Amino acid sequence: MPTAFILIMSLAMRGLFASHGRVAVSWALLDQDRSGASAELAGRLARRPDFRRAAASADPAALQQLVRSGGVQFLVTIPSGFGRAMRTARPLALGLAAAPDVEPVLVRLFDACLREDTAKVYLGGAMQELAAGLGDPSAVKGLRLENIDVLVAGPATAGAAAGPSPSAVQQNVPAWLIFAMFFIAIPLSNTWVQERSQGTYGRLLSLGLPRWKLLLGKLLPYLAVNLAQAALMLAVGVWLVPRLGGDALDLGRSPWALALMVLAVSFAAVSYALLIANLARSSEQASLFTGVSNLLLAVLGGVMVPRFVMPAALQAAGNLSPMAWGLDGFLDVFLRQGGLAQVAPRAGLLAAFGCLSLALAARVFTRHQRG
Amino acid sequence: MIEVKSLRFSYPSSPAPALDGVSLRIPKGALYGLLGPNGSGKTTFLSLLSGILPPPPGAIAVDGQDLSAHLRQIQARSALVPQELAFYPRMSVQENLEFFAGARGYSGEDARSRVDEALRLAALAPNRGQRAEHCSGGLKRRLNIAIGLLNRPSLLLLDEPTVGIDPQSRNFILQGVRDIHAAGTTVIYTSHYMEEVQALCDTVAVLDHGRVLAEGPLDSLLGDAALDGGDRARGLEQLFLTLTRSDLRD
Repeated sequence: MPTAFILIMSLAMRGLFASHGRVAVSWALLDQDRSGASAELAGRLARRPDFRRAAASADPAALQQLVRSGGVQFLVTIPSGFGRAMRTARPLALGLAAAPDVEPVLVRLFDACLREDTAKVYLGGAMQELAAGLGDPSAVKGLRLENIDVLVAGPATAGAAAGPSPSAVQQNVPAWLIFAMFFIAIPLSNTWVQERSQGTYGRLLSLGLPRWKLLLGKLLPYLAVNLAQAALMLAVGVWLVPRLGGDALDLGRSPWALALMVLAVSFAAVSYALLIANLARSSEQASLFTGVSNLLLAVLGGVMVPRFVMPAALQAAGNLSPMAWGLDGFLDVFLRQGGLAQVAPRAGLLAAFGCLSLALAARVFTRHQRG
Repeated sequence: MIEVKSLRFSYPSSPAPALDGVSLRIPKGALYGLLGPNGSGKTTFLSLLSGILPPPPGAIAVDGQDLSAHLRQIQARSALVPQELAFYPRMSVQENLEFFAGARGYSGEDARSRVDEALRLAALAPNRGQRAEHCSGGLKRRLNIAIGLLNRPSLLLLDEPTVGIDPQSRNFILQGVRDIHAAGTTVIYTSHYMEEVQALCDTVAVLDHGRVLAEGPLDSLLGDAALDGGDRARGLEQLFLTLTRSDLRD
């Protein structure tokens, strides 16, 4: 089930995380100026690789209806007299309208691009005027508009060199892998509650088996199940998702770091499951508590929604979720090419969480047996 | 010989003591009936005797050994057959026996011979491959007992071993208990079926509210009841109701 879930989510969310692909932005232009400046501005916007210009129309009402209905995401209006008034005391403002369902962040992105292209048109004209005013074109030969593209390309290139941002499969496989590992609490707690209520643990205790052995007797097999599940889900990300048209999961450069993270998450998840199993009085209670607590930990931990899109307060709260520690550790391995040293702190946190859960589970188990 | 002196035990969740100064002497080789209404303290007593609950130091001695100090040794030669069907329903009859033999620490040929013996004693050999959850009520009860026979115990604690089964299975189990007892095993037997206890046990104790209301050889106790005009056929039940009163406990 979790494997199928990972497969579907990786394919379904491919577009959302497509950093190396194109952001498809559609726009339309209402050019009421028809000047050299408006043509240059339109040309600059049209040359942007992520922008797709919709079929032109001179009918303002039709274009406004088009953007209102979501036929295009943006409508740029260049008012009549825009080019002529550009370098006067009373310049005319461009108009920008966005379709109702466009995300605010995309509106800001388009607005920034529009401002950049408008500034280039403005500066290009200003440089020509300056050269003409000086009567010596060589005096402004160092002022090259194209240099802006080179200058701003620096930071973007540096960011890319630091590592790619997560693709759908890079985000989804570790996120849902962690989620599935923590959901092992449902079968484990149901089995535990059943065996406790039917007297099996009482009988085993009467044979002289210590309580820690009973806990270990559940911890180890479920740990093995979780590890097998992890291997299967990673294999899906590496081999199956690309065969179905998605991106392949890159497992990073350190198999040891990956193994440590898988082991740490699995241990934390099974220990937490044992704690829930011992706290619950019935199978229903265990299932309900597992479902709700896992969903909360998953939401806070960035499994459902990446944490970078959350408000700061929620991001801070997410730092308390073991799922966040696990996810950050996996992303360290997959995206930041982290090794053992990089993931060790997060693996340590998960191990500490697992040990604490296990100790509490043992304590509750003892109290249960003693009424 | 099991000697219990002023045994007290309270559950943390309950203000009333489950056992309140219980003193008993159970002779070695006895078939000892422990009677009492629901909540009287029978299961708590067996849980302490089997080590599921921690026995208080100095309160219980088995063959002269303090139970709390020698728990592991005494557990190795005793066995509890709980009231619940305490085995793994998805395992077969034989797998359950093998699992519990392993949990006892037996392996190899020793484990195999103990499993075969338990299968034979409980007449489970034809059903050894059957999944426990698919067994009839009687088979399940016999499997529950068979698991308790794996260590060839010298002390066997049977907590209501015949609940919910047909007369044939009950008869088989009662005869099995007699055979085990005849082989020298001390048996402590709790049941709500008075006729079973009357037919099986030579000594009886009646517990209620965590206290011993009566204890002694069955004939002696029934003789006292007969002096009061009780019916011999219903003697133990009459005695039980007289001692514990007839008000409902659940």
